[in-house]
Amino acid sequence: MKMHQIILGDKRSWIKKLRIMKLTVILLFGSMVAMSATTYSQTAKLNISSKNAALIDVFRNIEDQSEFYFYFNKEDLKTKEAVTVEMKDAQINDVLDQVLAKTGLEYKIIDRYVVVKEKGSDEPVITMQVARKITGKVTDTTGGALPGVTVAIKGTTTGVITDNNGNYSLSNVPDNAVLVFSFVGLKNQEIPVGGKSVINVSMAEEALGIEEVVVTGYSTQRKKDITGAVAVVDVQSMKAMPSGSGVVALQGQASGVNIISSGAPGAASQIYIRGIGNFGNVAPLVLIDGVGGNLEDISANEIESLQVLKDAGSAAIYGVRGSNGVIIVTTKKGKTGAPTVSYDAYAGLQLPFSGNPLNMANTEEYIKLFKSAIPYHGFDNGIPDYMYRSGSGAAAWAMAGDPAVDPAKYKYDPITLGTNYIIAKVNKQGTNWYQEIFKPAVTSNQDLTVSGGTEKAKYLLSLGYLDQKGTLIETYLKRYSFKVNTEYNVGKHIRIGENLYIIRKAGNGYTNTSESNAVSNAMLINPLFPVYDISGKQFAGAYSYPITTMLAYGSNPVANQKLTNNNYDHSLQLTGNIYAEISFLKHFVARTSMGLSLGNSEGSGFAYNRYFDAQSFAVPNNLTLSMGNSWSYLFTNTLKYENTFGDHKLSVLAGSEANEGMSKSVYGYRQNFLVSDADYLLLQNGSIDGIQNGSGKSHGTLFSLFGRADYSYLDKYLLALTIRRDGSSSFGPKSRYGYFPSVSVGWRLSGESFLKNISWLNDLKIRASYGQAGNASNVNPNNAYSVFGTGVGKSYYDIAGSNNSSTQGFYASQLGNDLTSWEKDIITNFGLDGTILNNKIEFSAEYYKKSIEGLLFDQQLLATAGGAAAPKVNIGDIQNNGLDISVTYRDKFSKDLSFNITANITSYNNKVVSIPGQAGYFDTGALRGVGNVVRNQVGHPVGAFFGYKVIGIFKDAAAVAAAPAQLDKRPGVFQYDDTDGKPGITAADRVFMGSPNPDYTYGVNIGLNYKNFDFSTVFYGSQGNEIFNQTKFYTYFTSFFQCGLNRNLLNAWSPTNTGSDIPVLLSTASFSENTVPNSWFIEDGSFFKCRLITLGYTLPPSVLKKLTLQKLRVYLQAVNPFQITKYSGLDPEIPGSTSAFGIDVGNYPNNQRQFNAGISLSF
Amino acid sequence: MKKIYFKITYAVCLMTMLSFISCTKSYLDIKPIGSVSVAILANKTGVNKVLIGAYATLETNHSNNVGYGDGYWVGYGPFYSDIASHEAIWGFQYEPNTNSFERHDGQPSYKVFAYHWVNFYYGVQAANDVLRVLAAVPTDQLTAAEALQIKAEATFLRALHHFRLKKTFGNVPYIDETITANNCNVSNATSIWPKIEADFKFAADNLDETKADVGRANKWAAKAFLAEVYMQQGKYSDALPLLTSCITNGVTQKGLKYALVANYPDILNFRKEANSEQVFAIQFTFDGTSVAAPNGNWEYAVIQPVTPPNQGGGGGFCSFDMVNAFKTDAVTGLPMFDTYNDVNMTNDQGLGLNDPFTPYAGTVDPRLDFTVVRRGIPYFDWGLYNVNWAYDQPETGPYSWKKFSFNKADLAAVQANWVAVSPINVPLIRFADILLRAAECLVETGGSLSTAEGYVNQVRQRAANQSAWVKTYVNNSSPALGFTNTPAANYFISPYTGQFTANGATYARKAIRFERRLELALESKRFFDLQRWDAGSGSMATELNRILDHSRSFMTIYKGIYPNMVGAKFTKGKNEVFPIPQSQIDLSMVEGKPVLVQNPGY
Repeated sequence: MKMHQIILGDKRSWIKKLRIMKLTVILLFGSMVAMSATTYSQTAKLNISSKNAALIDVFRNIEDQSEFYFYFNKEDLKTKEAVTVEMKDAQINDVLDQVLAKTGLEYKIIDRYVVVKEKGSDEPVITMQVARKITGKVTDTTGGALPGVTVAIKGTTTGVITDNNGNYSLSNVPDNAVLVFSFVGLKNQEIPVGGKSVINVSMAEEALGIEEVVVTGYSTQRKKDITGAVAVVDVQSMKAMPSGSGVVALQGQASGVNIISSGAPGAASQIYIRGIGNFGNVAPLVLIDGVGGNLEDISANEIESLQVLKDAGSAAIYGVRGSNGVIIVTTKKGKTGAPTVSYDAYAGLQLPFSGNPLNMANTEEYIKLFKSAIPYHGFDNGIPDYMYRSGSGAAAWAMAGDPAVDPAKYKYDPITLGTNYIIAKVNKQGTNWYQEIFKPAVTSNQDLTVSGGTEKAKYLLSLGYLDQKGTLIETYLKRYSFKVNTEYNVGKHIRIGENLYIIRKAGNGYTNTSESNAVSNAMLINPLFPVYDISGKQFAGAYSYPITTMLAYGSNPVANQKLTNNNYDHSLQLTGNIYAEISFLKHFVARTSMGLSLGNSEGSGFAYNRYFDAQSFAVPNNLTLSMGNSWSYLFTNTLKYENTFGDHKLSVLAGSEANEGMSKSVYGYRQNFLVSDADYLLLQNGSIDGIQNGSGKSHGTLFSLFGRADYSYLDKYLLALTIRRDGSSSFGPKSRYGYFPSVSVGWRLSGESFLKNISWLNDLKIRASYGQAGNASNVNPNNAYSVFGTGVGKSYYDIAGSNNSSTQGFYASQLGNDLTSWEKDIITNFGLDGTILNNKIEFSAEYYKKSIEGLLFDQQLLATAGGAAAPKVNIGDIQNNGLDISVTYRDKFSKDLSFNITANITSYNNKVVSIPGQAGYFDTGALRGVGNVVRNQVGHPVGAFFGYKVIGIFKDAAAVAAAPAQLDKRPGVFQYDDTDGKPGITAADRVFMGSPNPDYTYGVNIGLNYKNFDFSTVFYGSQGNEIFNQTKFYTYFTSFFQCGLNRNLLNAWSPTNTGSDIPVLLSTASFSENTVPNSWFIEDGSFFKCRLITLGYTLPPSVLKKLTLQKLRVYLQAVNPFQITKYSGLDPEIPGSTSAFGIDVGNYPNNQRQFNAGISLSF
Repeated sequence: MKKIYFKITYAVCLMTMLSFISCTKSYLDIKPIGSVSVAILANKTGVNKVLIGAYATLETNHSNNVGYGDGYWVGYGPFYSDIASHEAIWGFQYEPNTNSFERHDGQPSYKVFAYHWVNFYYGVQAANDVLRVLAAVPTDQLTAAEALQIKAEATFLRALHHFRLKKTFGNVPYIDETITANNCNVSNATSIWPKIEADFKFAADNLDETKADVGRANKWAAKAFLAEVYMQQGKYSDALPLLTSCITNGVTQKGLKYALVANYPDILNFRKEANSEQVFAIQFTFDGTSVAAPNGNWEYAVIQPVTPPNQGGGGGFCSFDMVNAFKTDAVTGLPMFDTYNDVNMTNDQGLGLNDPFTPYAGTVDPRLDFTVVRRGIPYFDWGLYNVNWAYDQPETGPYSWKKFSFNKADLAAVQANWVAVSPINVPLIRFADILLRAAECLVETGGSLSTAEGYVNQVRQRAANQSAWVKTYVNNSSPALGFTNTPAANYFISPYTGQFTANGATYARKAIRFERRLELALESKRFFDLQRWDAGSGSMATELNRILDHSRSFMTIYKGIYPNMVGAKFTKGKNEVFPIPQSQIDLSMVEGKPVLVQNPGY
């Protein structure tokens, strides 16, 4: 029912109806624009059929079937009698003449407006004269018609969309209105009507966002005014990456940001902003709509904008939480306009690598290799036919026909395991364990969003469902997300609103950063073992422990995955805030926000009885259930003053923030469950022995005051100052307050007269910043206190000699240091931003240096200090410096063809400058067999690999004799480099063998649009990082794990193959092969990955109109279509801890191919 | 409209004010969670609980930084005493740190040494914590006598850990309760023997004779350790009177007069271990908590044979030399001091599971089959030993480790993990040890050789008690049916009959030392005995290199055996102690110079 003429009548009754009709109105307008209205009153045909109807209902009827608008005084109509009228294909005059004949009313038609009044009375003072119809055409800068542009009256929900020819027509536009023209990717235009009736608009592409307003610390800024190092991520290109996780999608999109992800569903990614700055927590602060959150839990689809604050100038205002950088995420919000429903979904299939990616020997090769290494250990009769373990525990290989493997003897009883007699048939070809545990996996993701709003109220509701299966069997992530945000304008000066997210995640918590994961087990298990025993139902495995029978080692990875498929990690996270913002005295804005985060987690781990496993088949099954909950609030209050004095612009913000968090957890443990069905597994169903339970709790507070001042003169000279004071409960009263100042300056050179006339230069700015940010996240809340604790496995002792109980004792658990305080990161940043060539090229380059004053580090204490955990103290320094560069080129070659490419590169040099204690280093990265492989030492990068440098393999006895003294040297083993010049190979000859830190990482995004097709691709690369490939230890050395052997060993050194680069097969561990870290394990981990190729098609508006849709895009994607790397393992992208990373212990690959089909529609 | 405007304005103002009010001092004051301060422990109950915590450090798996999973085996037990003295053979040849005990090529950088060092100082400081908390206890909380007992027990524990450090690492710093994190960089230049003596002496002077708990140190335990400390320094005349008084007056914590138990295997039977022979032992327990068995005897679990279903880890084996030493003279029933290696006992090395085998038929000391498991001899009620019970017999030889094992029937009373973790205590001193030490002191101080012979004979006569000997099974295929009365092997042992006096001190010394080897085999004594007897003479190097040569001689007979021992050598003047961990030396640097000085040769 169109704009109603209720100026004189009772408004309220219409309002409700008006809202419902809005969408219809827009569509109607869209379809009517071509109609001419000059003779409307003659051409419009009306069909009226009313019996005893109120006049007002007749008018409504007419309005419903025509474009006429009635203006009247409702009071006039109230006293009139009902009318009866029956007319077909009638003109308006005829109808009104008849209807009003006996009413004493008269009418007047002006265009489509019908004024009804008492005969002889004055014409009502209506605004009709100032409301007009506006028509026009919207074009792009090349003059091409732009269909689909929204033309709206500012401050209302009224609007139309341009037709295929770019034309629009909007009726009843008040003279004082402003029309807003908007289209994604183009700069909004606002044009006052001001008496015009034809408004043609040429819309330019958004000028690469420099006018864009972005959210930075507690405030917003024009992108062009930013003086700190802020990476504004191109969210459009980020969204191209299909991923349930915002982190994965962010990889390669922002300079200065390194992201390492595992392929495991739901596994945490690691984000480093400008390198690793400490040995503990380097995760940046992630603020989602102002409240701390987890970027992994939010799908890229939900993100409206994302900024990364990298330097002190931008991040110091976050004080103690800012040192690792800050990622500010703003999610989508409702926009003024009719309700929009959008639906985004994709489904895909991920495919594991084909063939034998781990390059494992098959049965025949295995036996050949094994016999050459350990000739006295069996397989004298060739490949056995069977393996078995009897009830008494005797286990052996057997040939067919051996009575020991008579299938009649087979017995499996899940309860009385001691009587089992299990038999398995040897896999003569060899089990390809990789293919047994990796299977194609389906992933799907759906997001449904409804949003809309008026000038007064905006809302957005969204539902999301991600169902991701991992190619590793029984791995998955299911995530349900629910989001709602609303904002109301109360009067002109007050805005109140809320954001709320609820995320439910279910997974099975698979991680692959520890040894003995499923992937490494696929390398450690014998190819002779079948997956299942002869029953076909029960799993086979290493039936016997002693090596003599070579049935040792290797945990059946299929069994491990299948039998733990009921294990789960569930979490429910509720995050949100409510806020109010008041503008007053023209220049002030006060804002208060209370953010709340509630978390609930639940885990179940059932350790099944490993009936097939030699080493632990007697361990009773057991169940651990755990639950945890947490809450925290973040209460932020700010006051902002903003004013312009001539050429001076000033903005000052002051604020306070209180943050408190608490988490609690509880767990229970029982063992000996009769059956292992998930439905049966309640704790009380376990046996009475071995009950365990416990709980955990943590609590912390942070209170902060902060301020910020931004000043600019002539838009050319920019200055920003920030300061923050934080107080934290983690530190003692003497040292709990810290101050974090920063200053940043910018100079827009392009604003100067000497550059103004350079036509190709659109914008050029240089900037610098210096300041401090802090870090306290690695500090135990008990750090200030020396305390005692108690624990069964720590301080209990059977003092009474009972043999079946122990007495509680206490031990010094923590040494306190009440002087420990913040770690202060001192960050210097120089940047250059520019846009050139008619805004086609945008670039940003920065150099930064970050050093840490008072790195929080465990106090390095001699053992003579005792066993209490050492406190964190402020000693040590790690320095990072490097360059972040990003360049974007966009061009539109014709109406149909546009192209854009963005490249970014991040380099960093990382150096440990000082480490507490006199040693100047600490070793970490302990691996089975080889010991610590990482030494963090002054003068070297964090996480550097340390060990003996291999200079070759001893070719023969002569080479052995000629070499310096070396433990276990003999032909075929490694020759180590004698680096210290002193005779013999000793510990002093160890050297730094490589660094897992890349020299640089880079990302390239390319987008191409042709007509309705869009094409995009994302590349990501890392150069110069080394990997310690521990999987070689599993598969190359017969002295430790003999069950899975690499096929390359067929070419190992032997007296007849002395030129090999694979060491000789030995039966014992050797210093000269595998018992110490050496450079043979180190590999170049550089890689270049094509992460994505997408081809999309957007339906043209003409089709959309028929489907009554606003937008419909379909696309096909290939994820990880190819990669270039020299690394021999599955994937060189390897997660780890911050003090030891880049170590491959059987990595869940993050480079498996996936093919997706997706749809994105809105209406 | 105006109303709403003001309402919200007021609300915002209120909230903003609230946020500043919350910035009070107490907002940031959060007490540590889940722990207690010294103030809370400074009373009778508290200080006693800290004392229990100090005892708990005897279980070395309780200290920081030590895990069983990473291949480093740390403890009071077998590794650097029995393996480094070549009584035992290490079964897991792939673990380089542990291999170094067998190869004598341990490097200061090896983690295993740091683990031991850290463990023992952790124990030292746990004892000091008791003294520090005790000092904070108000005087009305404890009687002077109670306080003295606590102090003396803590001092005993401190001495015990220092003693172990001294024997293991040679030059070590002494840490008392005045040393904390602020002043812990203490030099190792001065011998700490006097300090250890003083601590044990304080304990011996002040501890009560009996104690409420068998796990606690009493006066006699302190005396026995003090004697051992003297002996280790060659101060035999100081040790002798202490040992004599232990023999005549010593009682256990429960007041039992020290005496040998009748049956040799009962010494290490966890159902009978609170007996008259126990002087001081590490108390292990099966405390029903979980498969993790945090207070169980892990150290010895790893070395047990892999009897189904998985009793042990299969990591412990015994050398031909030690096994041969158990041969006895068929006529005299005495050890064959110089000829025991002339003929090897028959064994099943290289034989298949079903190949026929006859055990050695010559006369042997009955203690052999409590110490070692060999083919054809019953292994408790588990059955006849077979090759599959060894982890890797072709490499580690035919003799598995038996001491600290238990009956299959007791399996329900131990905890099953990937090995069965038992509650068997580890005796640090038992009465037989005291008798043999007293005999040794008599010889070294020119005392009565016949008294010495009497002490040795007490030990031998107990071993000769036939009722405890290993017997054959009623039915070899059903061990649970029990045993016959027929000894499982040709056991023959006799006491000395005046040979000590007749042959003089040199003979007596040899006999006593040999008896220690047999009686205390695999009880982590041998390495430190050899260290004591060496006293700079080089005898330890001679003895251990001899055994290494002997072991290596089997390489030509049995292919693949003892791969670890290729090139292994004990260096005189170096390998008598282990290297001071490099990590600790590095941490002790002051202005570029280490306060901790490395031992000679490393």
